[in-house]
Amino acid sequence: MARGSGNRRRNPYWRILPASLALAGVIVFIFATHGPPASSSGFVSLVEGITEQFAPQYVEGKAHYQAIPGPGSWLFAFVVGMAVGGFIAGRTWPRRVADVPRIWKQRFGPSRFWRYLATFIGGFLILFSARLAGGCTLGLFISGSTQLAISGLYFGVVIFAMAMITARLVYGRAGRGKEES
Amino acid sequence: MTEIWVGLFSGIVFGFIIQRIGATDPHRMARAHLMLNPDIPMFMLLTVLFSAWGLWGLVSYGAGKEVILPTSLVATGGAAVIFGIGWGLAGYCPGTTWAAAGEGRMDAVAALLGGLLGTATFAHLHEWLIPRLYDPTNVGQLTLGDWLGTRLAAVLGLTVLFGGGALLIGRIWKEPPNL
Repeated sequence: MARGSGNRRRNPYWRILPASLALAGVIVFIFATHGPPASSSGFVSLVEGITEQFAPQYVEGKAHYQAIPGPGSWLFAFVVGMAVGGFIAGRTWPRRVADVPRIWKQRFGPSRFWRYLATFIGGFLILFSARLAGGCTLGLFISGSTQLAISGLYFGVVIFAMAMITARLVYGRAGRGKEES
Repeated sequence: MTEIWVGLFSGIVFGFIIQRIGATDPHRMARAHLMLNPDIPMFMLLTVLFSAWGLWGLVSYGAGKEVILPTSLVATGGAAVIFGIGWGLAGYCPGTTWAAAGEGRMDAVAALLGGLLGTATFAHLHEWLIPRLYDPTNVGQLTLGDWLGTRLAAVLGLTVLFGGGALLIGRIWKEPPNL
């Protein structure tokens, strides 16, 4: 299991066991203080808040917006917090972030346009589908499986399988070099 | 007001930890999906495993709030297929887009904008799609506990399933896990 010592020095990521224990602590804290954690609902809160500004009657007549509270809620505060947490983590990280990931560059070149277009489409797909299922990786797979819900386990198995197939089609043999992850 | 501060605090810690395991880096996420680096999927499975025990303790103590989402064979499964395609293509899931955007990744900002459009599109079609895709094959709020008898048995079952899954990923994926 041990990596070469030179490799380990280059790997700045947290180890799996302590990191998963830490995140499980946060998740149990969230169940105790709020309920099941979720992040795709924060998108609904934001879209609802924006749409309400110019079409309040439309929002009132839409079941999906009526089911989820607007931006003045735990759900939206949580995703804003995620961005703040990502910001703090990024500022205290030894590596620079890339707008176009290395593996994408190896496969499709350095064009930002194509990468942004791909993530825009990917973003559309994950949110459209998460809202159909009622949750995402966090709100359905992680929250659901933690509560032993069959919906979470079912969703989890299928998203992993499909993401693995899609990544294979998108990247082919790119990213297989002996480089650090 | 308290719930906003609690939500913000929870999000900050959550976002920080997922960046530290590398889940906000689509390069690392892609290599996890390509069966090269096992850290993120093992991390996810173990997080659920430990959380399930924590929640079991919480519920035994009479605390915590649970919401079991129903299983719709068609909607949950079909949504998962679309979700997996989006996740494999972008390397982001809804939560990580926020943390990665905060980290300064511009492709995550594009994913976030796409996500807002996807949300608005679904919300617009909700009344039309839910009765057609979700309701007909909705089999209810099933849990492992319903199948295995007691909650403790269900948590043990989940431990075997997810612990075994994590071990298997650690063995099959190309690089050794950073345990």
